[in-house]
Amino acid sequence: MAQRDARFNQHVLVDTTPMPDHIPKVEEIGATSAPLFSAAYFIGDRCKAFNDDYMKCKEEANGRGEIECLKEGRKVTRCAASVIKDINTHCLKQFKEHWECLENNNHYLFECRKPEQALNSCVFDKLGLKKTIPGAPEGEVPVHLRPKQKYAQFPGRQY
Amino acid sequence: MGVPFEALLPYGIVITMFGVTGAGLYVSKRFLNEGKKPRWNSDLWDRQMMERDLRITGTLRGQSSNHIAPKGFELSNPWKIEKRIY
Repeated sequence: MAQRDARFNQHVLVDTTPMPDHIPKVEEIGATSAPLFSAAYFIGDRCKAFNDDYMKCKEEANGRGEIECLKEGRKVTRCAASVIKDINTHCLKQFKEHWECLENNNHYLFECRKPEQALNSCVFDKLGLKKTIPGAPEGEVPVHLRPKQKYAQFPGRQY
Repeated sequence: MGVPFEALLPYGIVITMFGVTGAGLYVSKRFLNEGKKPRWNSDLWDRQMMERDLRITGTLRGQSSNHIAPKGFELSNPWKIEKRIY
């Protein structure tokens, strides 16, 4: 394997064979990139245990994780879908405003702090999920709570 | 002594032509991106997510926040393969 040169992937293969019946079914997440990005921190808040479990399984499977970690992967998918479903049920308006803003601004979070504040407070009130940035420095205001954003098109206070 | 109006004609032409190109680019880019601002500086992750959006919604910039994918989505996932397999 090691002496083989890296090659670009120039072909794709779409395999329409369904999964065999002995593997339990899971419904895939239907949210596209902007709603997923908008809900990412809430998914991380609720599903941290499942996600870490899946990553640990993949790491310990020595390259066979795609087959051996199917069970953990289903848990990850179901948990993320439950978060998206809950946000859609309780905070649809704020959620829609935020991901439409993201989609219109090249998926830059710093352009959309105002809809993000509304979404964060709504999700915290209704679902109890809080946005925290992992690994952010201690003792400073986290970047998503600062009213002025350095690289945003609008230089003043966003909310 | 006033400036003759013929001296200002080229400025009018310059401003109009720059305006035409600017407005034309704005309109055509918005049209190509379904009324949204175009994506820029997109890396491999962004491009593969846009490809996934295309498989879910059927349009390049379409978005959907459903928690369950449409039927058949799980079978449309492309595998990347190399030209030659040892």
